Amino acid sequence: MWCQLPDELAAIDAHNHVRAGADGKLDVGRAEALLQGCSRLGIDRIAVSVPYTDSVVAPERYRVGNEVVWQAMQHSPRFIGFCFVDAHDPTAALAEIEHCIVERKMAGVKLYHQFFVDADEQRPVMEKASSLGVPVLMHAGKCTDPATMAAQPRLSNAGHFRAALEKYPETILIQGHIGGGGDWEWNLRTLEGIDSGNYYIDLSGSVIDAGIVRRSVDTVGCERLLFATDGSLEEGVGKLLAAGLSMREMRLICHDNFARIMARRKVCDV
Amino acid sequence: MFDINTAIGHWPFRRLPRRTAGELRQYLQSYGVKGAAVASTPALFYMNCQDANLELAEEIALHRDFFVGVATLNPAYAAAVRDLDVCVEKLGFRALRLSPCYHNYNLADGTADALLTRAGELGISVLLPNEIVNFRQKHWMEPNQPLGMESVLAICARFPQVTFIGTEGGYNLSMTAPPNLCLEMSRYHSCYGQVLADMVRKLGAERILFGSGAPFKEIEPSLLKLHHCQISDAQKELIAGGNARRLLGI
Repeated sequence: MWCQLPDELAAIDAHNHVRAGADGKLDVGRAEALLQGCSRLGIDRIAVSVPYTDSVVAPERYRVGNEVVWQAMQHSPRFIGFCFVDAHDPTAALAEIEHCIVERKMAGVKLYHQFFVDADEQRPVMEKASSLGVPVLMHAGKCTDPATMAAQPRLSNAGHFRAALEKYPETILIQGHIGGGGDWEWNLRTLEGIDSGNYYIDLSGSVIDAGIVRRSVDTVGCERLLFATDGSLEEGVGKLLAAGLSMREMRLICHDNFARIMARRKVCDV
Repeated sequence: MFDINTAIGHWPFRRLPRRTAGELRQYLQSYGVKGAAVASTPALFYMNCQDANLELAEEIALHRDFFVGVATLNPAYAAAVRDLDVCVEKLGFRALRLSPCYHNYNLADGTADALLTRAGELGISVLLPNEIVNFRQKHWMEPNQPLGMESVLAICARFPQVTFIGTEGGYNLSMTAPPNLCLEMSRYHSCYGQVLADMVRKLGAERILFGSGAPFKEIEPSLLKLHHCQISDAQKELIAGGNARRLLGI
């Protein structure tokens, strides 16, 4: 068994996070720990964001988080920035996307559960991301426990993503963490037959149920899967290694699919 | 390498690979595992758990050189203490597993006291799974939440003569570490932050045990956690198997 992903894959973790320290700036210690942990496991670059879980997030709050992401990008070229916005204030959200994507060369937009991915309120954000040619990575799941259902009433599942692909056909969507908790089998069954070139799902999350990656490959195809950990590094690498994929499949999932998304960018290169 | 956290049998809510002793053994051995403690998955659902323990004994009869049986009992059901005696003395099982969430009782309400007292007299360890599968994907018939480490710490204090093994996570480094608590390691990080290594420093390497959660979970993450854990080789050897063999008396 491999103890890390082979260097030749140049693996990109498509879904991870950095945090602010007590001073409101990048927690450099945690960022370094993440870089070191990724190095141990053969993960080359890491896409990071600072999402907020509140039902409504004021622009001045998420600007602070995006500043932390910017600090991470300056701390190490291995960090790829994603900017978080909340569509409740579309004018502010679009300005922040413009600032982060165009001026600061972040790679994509991160959404949480303030609205479903297919909500009408998301239209300005979706169209802005489309115009810039950058992906929208969204927190997602099909949780069935009462506590999570109560805490996340607008948690998008695969059904919402299928609807969003119809509603926003020009936008590249990344469904977050198939292993992030919730009924992943339900999500995969819902995704059967999907053929959009704008749909991706990342493999992150702490859930390492036997067969989860293999089933994901068999359902949506390895061209639509992105390697990711969302902070669960050994879980992310371990379940990928467990799937018994070919090097071609591994290369697509770990690097080439993400690179293909980045190549669709319509503004300055990352 | 000895795996403290495996199970055999059909899971009613999802198709599992490797449901038989032979399949599970072959899988574990392919990763260098030399032995495993195994419990019955149906025992979580049978009204009369002992029938599931008897099935488990039959299933592993040809694999006694590899598997060590773990009795799963519902202390609220008839004859649970006698069943434990049978499991240990006649079936050769070497540990007890309790699952209060699936058997619908509370560790604090006294239901399990007689059984735990007997486990202490028999000198066997008690496994307490925090969860069987991640609770966020629960079937509507399953418990709404994990067991929670607070109840495990409380039962450790009430039964200091019993060694408890907490499996499937739930512990964090801010919690107390009673001397009769051991932890199975599959849910603790060892690359992004050395949580597992910090647990070794806090509890001692002799109280951390390798486990995979197979066949529910993939084994690779646990192997990676142990491989990348920044502790000595001697400590890794204890975690990899020495501790389990000591606690199981094999």
